[in-house]
Amino acid sequence: MDNLFLPRLARIALVRDETPDTKTFGLRFRDPVDQRDFRFLPGQFLELSVFGFGEAPFCFASSPTRPELVEVTVRRTGQLTDALHTLGPGDEVGLRGPCGNGFDLPSAQGKDLLFIGGGIGLPPLRGLIWNVLDERERFGRVTIMYGAKTPADLVYKDELQEWAARGDVELLVTVDRSNNGWTGNVGMVPTLFDKTELRPKTTLSYVCGPPVMIKFVVQDLLMRGFADDAIISTLERMMQCGVGKCNHCAIGHRYVCRDGPVFTFRQIKELVE
Amino acid sequence: MANEARTISKRDVAGWLAALMRRAEVIAPVAAHGGDVAFAAISSPEQVVFDFQNSLHPPKQFVLPQTDPLVVIRRNGNGIELEPVRDAHPRVIFNLRSCDARSLAFLYRMHASDLPDGAYLARAENVTLVSLACTVPCELGFCTCCDAGPFLKEGTDVQLTDLGEHLLAEPGTDKGLAMLSEAGDLFRPARPDEERRRLELEEAAKRAFGAETCHFASAMRRVSTGRVPEELWGTMSDWCLECGGCNFVCPTCYCFSVKDMKQDGSWVRCRTWDSCQYQAFTLEASGHNPRERRADRIKRRFFHKVSAQYYLRDGTVGCVGCGRCVRVCLGTTDMPAVVEAIRKGAWNG
Repeated sequence: MDNLFLPRLARIALVRDETPDTKTFGLRFRDPVDQRDFRFLPGQFLELSVFGFGEAPFCFASSPTRPELVEVTVRRTGQLTDALHTLGPGDEVGLRGPCGNGFDLPSAQGKDLLFIGGGIGLPPLRGLIWNVLDERERFGRVTIMYGAKTPADLVYKDELQEWAARGDVELLVTVDRSNNGWTGNVGMVPTLFDKTELRPKTTLSYVCGPPVMIKFVVQDLLMRGFADDAIISTLERMMQCGVGKCNHCAIGHRYVCRDGPVFTFRQIKELVE
Repeated sequence: MANEARTISKRDVAGWLAALMRRAEVIAPVAAHGGDVAFAAISSPEQVVFDFQNSLHPPKQFVLPQTDPLVVIRRNGNGIELEPVRDAHPRVIFNLRSCDARSLAFLYRMHASDLPDGAYLARAENVTLVSLACTVPCELGFCTCCDAGPFLKEGTDVQLTDLGEHLLAEPGTDKGLAMLSEAGDLFRPARPDEERRRLELEEAAKRAFGAETCHFASAMRRVSTGRVPEELWGTMSDWCLECGGCNFVCPTCYCFSVKDMKQDGSWVRCRTWDSCQYQAFTLEASGHNPRERRADRIKRRFFHKVSAQYYLRDGTVGCVGCGRCVRVCLGTTDMPAVVEAIRKGAWNG
C-alpha cells in the first residue's frame, strides 16, 4: 500500500517575479513518466516540499490544457515560502497530489462565466481561466474582475494585458489605492459590479480572495440575483497532510482538503464550524 | 470463535511470552518509576505485570509514535533522494486493557478509510493485540458507557481473562486463533466451568462499574445539532489551560502535523502529534485563524469526539472511556465533565 506522504521529485524550470513578495514557479517532474502521467483539475492543489523546511499546500496556478509545466504562485509569508523564494531553476522540490476536488468544469459548459479574484486569490482562478480560454467555444461570455491593494500588487501583469486585448474576454481591474500613473479603476472589487452588465440566471461566478473580499462579493452577487449554487469559491484553511487525516482543515466533519477546497455557496452555508 | 476458548496455566505464561518474543517485539505493561505501570518493549517475560490499573500513556505510541518517520530525504550531489519508511516489524501488544484494544481498532478504521494511510497500516497490520479483560473496575474508567469494556466482543486478536491459577484465552480474529495454535501444548481447550467462570467475572465486573456515568447519546443530540449554547463553550473553555494533555494521553486522538527533522546530515519527514486545543493548530499563513478563541477549539474537540456526524463516519464515538483525560486535565474539561455539562446545559467546573 502506498505511502501517502511520499512526494514525487520535480525541478524548478522557471521563476517569474510577480510582485515584490510573490513569485510564480514553473515545475517539471524529474521522472518523465511522472510528467507524462500527471493529471489534475483547476481548483485542486498540491503539497509542495521544500526539503528541510517541510511542505505546504498551493493551488495549481496553471491549466491542465498546458501540461508542459505545473505552475504555482507563492507569496513570501513564512519559513517555507521564504526558503522557496531563494530557489531557482534546476533546484529540486517535491510534489504530492493532486489533492482536493477541483472545479466542476463540465457542468459549466454553455454558461456565462464570471471570475472574481482579489490579491493572491487570482492564482487558483488563473488555471481555470486558461482552461476555459483554451476551450473557449464551450462557454458563453467570460468576465474577469480582479483587484489588488496597489498596482504593484497585481499578479500576472502580462497576462492581464493579453486578456484585455482579446475580444472574447471582458477584463475589469481595480486597485484599492492608486499610485505612479495608474489610470485604471480605483476602489474595492465590488465597485466593479456597476461597470458591467451581468446575467445572473445564466452565469456561474468563481470567487477567490481574502475572506473579507469574499464576504462582500458574495453579498453583492446574492443581491444581484445569483443563486447559491451559482457562487463558487475555494476555502483556505491551515493544512498539513492534504489527504484528510491530520484534522487541521476540518470544518465540522468536512475536510477542506478532501471535500473541498472548492465549495458552492450553498455548501458553505451548510458547513458547521 | 467463542467456542474455541483455551486455557493456559500461569506457570506456562513465561514460556508462551518467550516464544512470542522470538517472533516479535513484545510490548506489555511493566513496573516503572514510582510505582507506575507503563507500556514498554520487554526484554524478559518476568517483566510483564498482570495486576495493574491502566497506564497513564496508552500503548497508542507503538502504532502511532509521537514522532513517526514517513520519508527519509537525502542529498545526493545536486539532487535529492527520497526513501519511504515502512515499518512492518512484527509486534505483540500484550496485556493491554479492553479500552486500549478498542481504541486501536478505532485508529485502524480511521487510517484505513477514504485514502488508506499505507505507512500507518503497514505498522498496524503487523501488530497482534492480546488484551486482558478487566475484572475489577479502574478508578476513573467509564468504558461501559461506550461499549469498550470491561470485556470485549470484538476489536482484539486474543482476549485474556484472569481465572486465578489460569488465564482463559479467547481468539477474536483469525490472527489470534493462529497465535494460540502456534503455542501448541501450552494451551488446552477451556473446560465448561472455566467458560462459565469467565461469564460470571464479566457480569460481576459490569456490576462493579455501576451505572453509566457518561451519557453520550444525549450529549450527541445537542452537539450534532448545534444546540450547545456558545456561552457554555465559553464558560467551559475558561477552565482549559491549553496544555494539550487530554489529546496526548487520549488513545483515540490522532491529529498531527508534518515536519522535516534533521538527522545525521539528512532529513526525516515525520508526522508528529499535534493538539486541536492549541491556538496555532488552525493559524493560517495570512494570520487569519478560524478557531482563535479557546471556546471554538474545545467545541471542535467535542464535535469530533461525540457528534452524530463523526459517529456515522467512524461507527462509534471517539472515546473508549479510559478516563485518562480525567486524570490529566488540570481544569476538569475532561470527557465525562463536558458531556455532563452539554447534557444539562450548565457547567459546574
